[in-house]
Amino acid sequence: MNTLSETNSQTAETRPNLVAVGTIVWLSSELMFFAALFAMYFTVRQVSGPATWLESTERLNIPFSSLNTTVLVLSSVTCQLGVFAAERFQPRRTGSILQINKWGMREWFALTFLMGAFFIGGQVFEYAHLAIEGITLSGSAYGSVFYITTGFHGMHVTGGLIAFLIVLIRSSYAKKYSHDQATTAIVVSYYWHFVDVVWVALFASIYLIK
Amino acid sequence: MKFSWRLFLGIGFFYALITAVYAKLSSEIIGSLALLLSTLLAILLGFYFWFIDRRIVGYLPEDNLEGEIADRAGELGFFSPHSWWPLLVGFFMTLAGLGVLLGWWLTIMAVAGLLISIFGFVMQYQKDKSSY
Repeated sequence: MNTLSETNSQTAETRPNLVAVGTIVWLSSELMFFAALFAMYFTVRQVSGPATWLESTERLNIPFSSLNTTVLVLSSVTCQLGVFAAERFQPRRTGSILQINKWGMREWFALTFLMGAFFIGGQVFEYAHLAIEGITLSGSAYGSVFYITTGFHGMHVTGGLIAFLIVLIRSSYAKKYSHDQATTAIVVSYYWHFVDVVWVALFASIYLIK
Repeated sequence: MKFSWRLFLGIGFFYALITAVYAKLSSEIIGSLALLLSTLLAILLGFYFWFIDRRIVGYLPEDNLEGEIADRAGELGFFSPHSWWPLLVGFFMTLAGLGVLLGWWLTIMAVAGLLISIFGFVMQYQKDKSSY
């Protein structure tokens, strides 16, 4: 019965990391926030009838948003590769910048940041086109729910980008890459994966199920 | 963590059952969706607790029926003893929200302050110790 005290050292994990558990609990509550947005989307859709929806969803640019979605999904992969580097306590690359297999957390997270920024840029581009075609936030019920759901998601992605910046700046402040730094990188990746999964669900409901 | 993951996965299965029954009887999407996401909430927590339970070495005192309060002693993590930054974060967040009512100019200014206070908040313990 003494397994805990015998293995209580700095390296082995003997108890859950409070920051990581807290992040997951918070993310599960974020899930309910998005549940409200999904409920709003489907309520308005049911109330306003199929004709309004058909007319508005025709104007969505599916090829472009699919490209954007692909970039966001791939950014989850690069983020995870950054986490693997963080778990090896490797902040920076050991080879040249072209040797991808020697990249550290910073290179992978910087790439993830750029991909996330591409996604946000793409979304702004898409909003601009839809606004020109007459779908605005206050113009119609469809416009309201479209911009509120994708806009709140976009705000979450922007928050994630700021979190990546913070991870990168913090890792450059520290002389030594510590457990603390690795924990920050891991919890930011949890958030990023969460936001990514939510986008896949949103993309399926808004763009694919017309 | 044994009890925690069993509790949350149990709640998850209960919600899954309710979701299925509700979706079948009401054939209405909004409530079914809300119940489905509640299921996912419980399963996310349950799965994560199961995952850490598998990863940690040994088991926690709360899973031991003979466990004592003192078994939980030790380092829990890092807790800030004192900080003004959260107050500033809250202040600028309030201004950003008020700006939606009063005028977007206030939101834009508040977001700048919000960013500064968030950076201050997360960087406050990041100064390299050898520099002072």
